[in-house]
Order: sequence, then C-alpha cells, then structure tokens
Amino acid sequence: MIPPAISLVDVSLSLQGNAGPVDILHAITLDVNRGETLALVGPSGSGKSSLLMLMGGLELASGGTITALDHDLSAMSEDELARFRRAHMGVVFQSFHLIPTMTALENVATPLELAGTRDALALARQALADVGLAERADHYPSQLSGGEQQRVALARATAPRPDILLADEPTGNLDSTTGETIIEQLFALRAAHGATLVLVTHDPALATRCDRVLNLLDGRLETGA
Amino acid sequence: MSLRHAARIARRELRGGLRGFGIFLACLALGVAAISGIGSVRAAIEAGLVQEGAALLGGDAEIELTYRFASETELDWMQANATEVSEIADFRSMAVVGDDRALTQVKSVDDAYPLVGTVTLSPDMPLDQALAGEDTLPGAVMDRVLADRLGLTPGNEFALGGTPFRLSAILVNEPDNATGGFGLGPRTMVATSALAESNLLSPGTLFETQYRLRLPPGSDLAAYEAKAKAELPKSGLRWRDARNGAPGVATFVERLSAFLVLVGLSGLAVGGVGVSAAVRAYLSAKAATIATLRTLGATNGTVFLAYALQIAALSALGIAIGLALGGLVPLALAPILQTQLPVPAIFSLYPAPLFEAALYGALTAALFTLWPLARTESIRAATLFRDAMGAAARLPRARYILATLALLTVLIGTAGAFSGSFRLTGFTALGLLGALLLLGLSAALARFIARRLRPLAQGRPALRWALAAISGPRSEALPVVLSLGLGLTVLATVGQLDGNLRGAIARDLPTIAPSYFFVDIQKDQMPGFTEQLEGDSAVSKIENAPMLRGVISHINNRPAREVAGEHWVVQGDRGITYATDIPDNTRVVAGNWWGSGDIGPPQVSFAAEEAEEMGLSLGDTLTVNVMGRDIEATITSFREVDFSTAGMGFVMIMDPASVSAAPHTYIATVYAEPDHEARILRELSQRFPNITAIRVKDAIARVTEMLSSLASATAWGASATLLTGFLVLIGAAAAGSPARAHEAAVLKTLGATRRRILSSFLIRSGLLGLAAGTVALIAGITGGWAVCHFVFDTDFAVIWPSGLAIILGGVAATLLASAGFALRALATRPARTLRSRE
Repeated sequence: MIPPAISLVDVSLSLQGNAGPVDILHAITLDVNRGETLALVGPSGSGKSSLLMLMGGLELASGGTITALDHDLSAMSEDELARFRRAHMGVVFQSFHLIPTMTALENVATPLELAGTRDALALARQALADVGLAERADHYPSQLSGGEQQRVALARATAPRPDILLADEPTGNLDSTTGETIIEQLFALRAAHGATLVLVTHDPALATRCDRVLNLLDGRLETGA
Repeated sequence: MSLRHAARIARRELRGGLRGFGIFLACLALGVAAISGIGSVRAAIEAGLVQEGAALLGGDAEIELTYRFASETELDWMQANATEVSEIADFRSMAVVGDDRALTQVKSVDDAYPLVGTVTLSPDMPLDQALAGEDTLPGAVMDRVLADRLGLTPGNEFALGGTPFRLSAILVNEPDNATGGFGLGPRTMVATSALAESNLLSPGTLFETQYRLRLPPGSDLAAYEAKAKAELPKSGLRWRDARNGAPGVATFVERLSAFLVLVGLSGLAVGGVGVSAAVRAYLSAKAATIATLRTLGATNGTVFLAYALQIAALSALGIAIGLALGGLVPLALAPILQTQLPVPAIFSLYPAPLFEAALYGALTAALFTLWPLARTESIRAATLFRDAMGAAARLPRARYILATLALLTVLIGTAGAFSGSFRLTGFTALGLLGALLLLGLSAALARFIARRLRPLAQGRPALRWALAAISGPRSEALPVVLSLGLGLTVLATVGQLDGNLRGAIARDLPTIAPSYFFVDIQKDQMPGFTEQLEGDSAVSKIENAPMLRGVISHINNRPAREVAGEHWVVQGDRGITYATDIPDNTRVVAGNWWGSGDIGPPQVSFAAEEAEEMGLSLGDTLTVNVMGRDIEATITSFREVDFSTAGMGFVMIMDPASVSAAPHTYIATVYAEPDHEARILRELSQRFPNITAIRVKDAIARVTEMLSSLASATAWGASATLLTGFLVLIGAAAAGSPARAHEAAVLKTLGATRRRILSSFLIRSGLLGLAAGTVALIAGITGGWAVCHFVFDTDFAVIWPSGLAIILGGVAATLLASAGFALRALATRPARTLRSRE
C-alpha cells in the first residue's frame, strides 16, 4: 500500500495572543494521498491557512504528528524542514510573498539554486515562460501587477517540480478573470508534474475542481478524511 | 489651512505613543546633551576664573617685564598707585643634587608674596619660614614631582645655579599657578634675596619679572591699565588684571570648548541622519492615514502642519531630555570635576550654554525633518491603492528646498558666531556636507557594483541575495551607508587628528633634533663653553648665537596687534639675535643683508613666511622693546627659516651695531651621541653652574603630553558621536528589520537554511559596512589633513592603524546591528511572519 503524501494525526495548534493562548486547530486527523487534489474550505478564521502552514512545516504544531512523504515534520528542526521543503514542496500564498529586492527571474531561480540545480536561471526562465511571463523576467515585483506577481509565485513554486503543492487562497487578492487564469495554470502545472495539491479557498466552484473537499469550522474538520 | 484642525489631528496621532521614536529622541537628546554639557563645563570654568581672578593672578593687577627688574621710575609708579606691591622673578634653571640634575621653573619671591591666596606646604608651615631656611642655607620649596625625581625629602640640600639651598617643604598648592603659562619644568620656589650671589638673575639672562599690585578697593582696572601704559610708555610692560586673571587658561578653555562644540555639532549632524530616517519611516507607515485624510478633504497644508506639529513636539521633548542631561550631569559630577580640573570652576545651571544647545538642536531637527515632511505632499488619496511611498522619491517643492538651504545657512552662521571661528565652522560644515555627498555617491556606487556582480554570483545564493538586496529596489545601501558612514567619518577625522597631534613633534624631529639647548651662557663663558665641547669626540655639532628678548610693540608706528592681529610673533616676547654675516642655517630670499661694519640706522632681517602672514614688506619699520628700550629698525631683508628642525631659528636677526651693546647672554644647541648626553651635561654644569640645559627630548615629551591631553579631550567629545552613530545604525537596522524578517520567512519557505540566510544578511551588512568605512577613511584623511594643514599648520601623515580600525569598526558595527535583528527574524516561524503580512 502506498503511504499518503501527508498524514496528520490528532494535530492541534494553539497560538499566543495578546489576551492569552488561542486554540486554532483541534485534534485534526487526515491523510492526503499522493497525486490527490484536496480543497480546504471554511469561513474566515476557521483555521484553513494554519492547517496548510502546519502541512508545510511553516508552523509548529502544539500537539499530534504530521508526516509528509514518510518524514515526521514534528521531529524536524527548522533547517531540516527547510531542506525538506526545498526537495519536496512548493507553496503559493494569497499575498504572493515575492522577495522585493529580486527580479522575477531571480525569485523563481532561488529554490532551484538552493537545491543545487544546474542551469537554475535557464530553468527559471522556462518556468516563467510556462506562465506567460518570459518578457517580464527582469522586472521587480513592484513593477508587476498582482496577477503577474502571483504567476511568478506559481512559477517559483512549481519550477523545482515539487511532490507537494500547497496553495493558500491563491486567487484571494485577484480579480475573477485573473484568478481563473492562475487556477488554470496551477492545475495544469500540477497535472504536468503529478504533484499532490492542497488548496485553501473560499470559492466553492474552485473547491469542486479538486478530488476531495474538506470543511473546517472553528478549527475542527467537519467531514472525516 | 487651519492650525486648529492640524493641531487636533496631531494630538490624536500622538495618542498612539512614542513607539518608533526611540532612536529619534535618543539621537536628538544625545547631541543636545553633549553640546550643553560641554557648554555648561565651559561656563562653570569661566565663572570660576572670573570669581577667582585676583587669586589666580596673585593680585588685583600685574605688570610683567621681560629680562629685567623694574627701574626706579617704574617702581615709584607702582608704589604710588598700588596699596601693596610684590615682586616675583620667573625663570628656568637646573636643580642639582650631586651628579643628578633636573630642569626646573624657578619662582623667586619677596616677603610680600602671595598678595592674594595661600601657599600650601607639606609639612604645613608658613612660606616665609620655609624660604628663610635654617643654619646658613636659604630654604626652598619644590613640586613633589621634582623632589621625587631628584630623591629629595625636606631637610636635604640641592643647588640652583651653583647656590646651595635646603629643601624645607613640598609645594602642595601655588595659588597663582594657572597664570604662568607653559613651563618645561616643575616648580621650585625660593626667596629672591637668596639668589643675590648667583648669576641666575644677572642682566641678560632669561627671566621675567612680575609685579603684583593690590589696588584700592573698587578700583577701575581698565583705567589703571590705561594709566600704566600712558605713564610708562617705553617700558615694554605687559598688563594683566583680575578681570581676566588667567588669560591663557581662559583662551585655552574657550578655544577647546569651541572645538569640542563643533565635534558635538558633528555628532548632532550624525544624529540628524537618524532623526531624518525616523521621520521618513514614521511618515511611510502613516501613508495610508495621510491618504485617508486626503480622501476626507484635508489639504496639503493641513497634512503638512499636522505632521510638522507632531515632529516639533517630539523634537521639543528630545531637546528637553538633552538639556536636562547636559545641564544636570555636570552639576551632579561637580565634586569630581572640581578635583580633576586644574582651574577653579563654579558649577551651576547656566542658561546661555543651554540656550545655545537648544538652538542647535532645534535647527538640526528642523533641517533634517523638513525634507521628509515635505514628502507628505506627494502622498495622494490614490496611495491607498498603490505602493505607499513608492512614488514619493522625487525632489520636494522649491519652497522646501529653499527653506532647507536657509536653515543650513542659519545653523552654520549660528555655529560660527558661537564658536568664534567661522573658518573652523566652515571647514566642519564643508567636511560634513562633503562626507554626506561622498557617502551618497558611494551608496550609489555600491548599488551599481552589486548590480554588475549579480550575474557572477550564480550558484552562490547567499551572495546573490545579498547583492540583490544592495542593488535592488528598497535597497538598504543608502540608509546604512549614510547612518554609519557619517559617524565613522567624524571618528576617522578625530582619529587622524589625534594621531597627528600626538605624533607630530616626535615624528618630525628625532633624526635632526639637537640633544640640548643651553641658555643663559654669559659672554665671557662662551670661549670656555665651546672649547670644552669641541674637544669632546661625542659632540658632532655646536651652534651658538647671542640672544636678547624683545617685544614688537609697533609696526610702521601703529600698534603691532593692529597690524598683525593675533599672530604668534606679536604675542609676548621673541628671541632676537644679531649677526655680521648670514648664519649658515638660513638664507636671504628678498632684500639685502647689511655689510660688515655698517653702523647706520638699525636694520632687521625678518623670517619670510611669518612676514608674509603678518603682511610685512621690505622697508617697513618695527619698534622692538628690548630691556625697556625701544629700537626702531627697518626691515632690509627676508630670510627662509626652518623652525621644524628644533635647531636655532630666529624670526628677527638685527645688525650688530643696533643691539650688541645691550646686556645679553648666549644660547647654544649641542648635537651629541645619546649615550654621552648625561656625561656632557654633568661636565658642563660642574664648570658653568649658572647655565640652564633643556633636554630636547624632555621638552618634546612635555609638549607631546600637552597635545595628547588636547587629543584626548577631542576623543572624548567624539565618543558621543560614536554612540550617536551606532544608535542611528541600530535605527536603520530596526527600520529594515521587517523587510528582512519577511525575506527570511520566504527564503525558509523556499528551502533556505538559517545559516545560509544569516550568511546572506551578514554579507550584505559587511559589504555596506566596508563601503561606509572606506568612505569614512577617505573623508577622515581629507578632513584630518585639512585641519592639520589649515588650522594647526603642521605636517600630516595618515595614521593607518586608526584608519584600519575605523574600517573594521564599520564592518563590525554593521555586522553586530544586522546580526542582532537577524537572529530574531530567523528564530521566528515563517508562518507567523507571513501571516502578519496577509
């Protein structure tokens, strides 16, 4: 039997707020199969993005176990997590999170360089061409529109051909037409590389394009995995 | 524009507290504190000098004569006008114990000394008793340093000029010691009557007499001065009175504090960079608020005024903190400072220096905040939908540029007026502006080079990220290089000055300086003196010349100071020699040397460089008072004289017929092998006990020590600048911290390890620190050279250890500030940082 791409067992998350600890996620248990596309939906503040961050090792769980591709993320150090993401994960954020001091090309090349890939710049240029931004390679993020920035972020996340793609409301800051283009490209790139996709979204139509939809409410899963 | 509306907005905005203004307040407060502190100490010393004027002078007034005692006429005048007169002679001599000898500055006094104040001795006894001595030997008291140097304790014998004395006590306090000026040896005090048998005060020897006068209570000192000069016109007297009891000290304190205030102002300028950056960051963060105010109908004027009022209120707070520190810290430290200062000081809260510092603070704050404030006009309502300050990089409107220039002019003018030296202030201002320009250019150059190097860094992500951060948009290059660079520039300049002042004399002299100067050699002693030295194989060279001392009182029948101003040649008495032929160590560059046997009117050959500085021409007449007699001589030639060799150099050489008949002694320089110096001195002193030897190395050490003290005071003044510079750097690092935290979070998401991210942060900081340090070194060397060349008129040599320390310090400071903030960013989970940006 093929082990799942991501497995969460009894995972919880509490964060320290100004008025004391705030419980964000409660006893989450779920598996995401390899090659599967999974949509996480739910109202604002339900914990969707936090759950995604835990899957990416970007946040430390307060309890439970998170396994990705047979690696126990809970037991890994900050640097081990970084190396794991470098090798296996790509993340797309709602706010793009491009590095403002780097050009589009350099932003895309960065994970490839970190992975020690030869011809990182050439591959990055190709990845930008794949999202239709070959002409914008030498532009800085501040010189790009929101849609273009998100396409750069998409190219950056997919260029290393990750096993797992995490996307946190990738169209949340974009108009519907631009958002549609981004989603088309996201799904196309995922399909091209056969990556597992976990997508956080408010858009029911977008969620239905995924193999499975999970609903979060007040930090709990409404539908079992 | 409505002031009421603006004030209401300002008040509401300030309710948010002082968050983000820590560096702003610290920079302003530190600069104002340094300047007001320096000013307060100066005011305390000046008040002390005024109150203690009579005690410092040793009387209500003093008449000083060079080379002679007062004539009967002069003594009669003093007796007639003063209620009490005390006569003092001051000269150098050698204190001798067996074969051991040491240079001492002797003060021989009469029974009336001191007219004001008290001499303190150890063991405690009256001065009269100490100087009377016991048995057949007259008594003496001396400074502890000299007694220790000669191994003397009270009761032991020593000799001055061949006359034996018994040391009665150690001189603990000499009330009028601040008036003597620069002395090469520690003090010995004896009774003048005990020197009658010695040659130490014979006509022609080098001594000064001071007649201390006690005047009737309530006397008009200025009137007495005018009367003395009018009724004793040809005496060549110098008058001092209790209005300024220690003019040398007062002038020194005034000049040193003016210099230190300029160093403090440089610190304030460094702080200004931090102030400006803080206002920029504050307004950047307020862009959305300003844009919202615009949408609600606020005009440019209202918005500008609202934020100007906030900055003004914060500036007032910073200045108030600075004034409190600068005014109160010296007051709190008064008991310690009073024991450390060699002059009296009355510590209190003096309004004048506080006002001066407050004015500097207000002008600096206005100067450095106006430009960023002007940018509020470029924030439009549409900013709400775009990158906040991205479009605001253009120049502000002309009126703001003009106002900035006007503020700069007023600040420089104020500093010039307060410091009393527009030249030095101008240099400082030019230096700072030049440094700012150079730093701006170097930041641009660093960005350019980093952009060019980016392709070469492929495969080295940490280096490429660093180069991207330096060359890309929102680059840290300018704020970091400016904030660190200006502080380092001031430090580098002070470092170069410090090294050059400390090393100037020692560096320039050792290879050519003579071993000893001998003074007070009587004319009849000269043949034996030269014969003994010429027969000594360890002596390589002897120079000698007759020497008189005289004061240039008039130039072309006008008072000398009116013509030559404060030039050193007309301040006090100068050595004069006479010669038939042109001496070997000088050459005539203009005019003609007199012929031998010329017995016409007096002629003088003057040093060419000094003549040019004083505006003298061939044919001008100088009235020189020698031993109370005015000699009017015509300048018939100019000579090139090199004073830097420490050999014999005279500003004035006169024809023999003019002055050779006046009583005078000889001066000689002796060049000898160092190992034999002690023996040569011993042998000469035994044969000629009246002559005084000044060991050149000791004199150099003494002068170097003085210059070192000056340099140390400057270095202390600069430490405030260092602290300000570091604060500004921390401010710059803090301002860049959120961007770095975001970058670190994204890089971690993309798979970068913390070590790699830290390396990248450190590389960019190190490179910028290197750029700032290099520019600071270049600017520091230029500034140091300019001050040495134009102000101190000394040679300049680059002090590399200090320079390299500045560069390393720059790199270390940026690395430290960067690492401090980076570690926090690296320790934060990426999700936390990224979520805060969503």
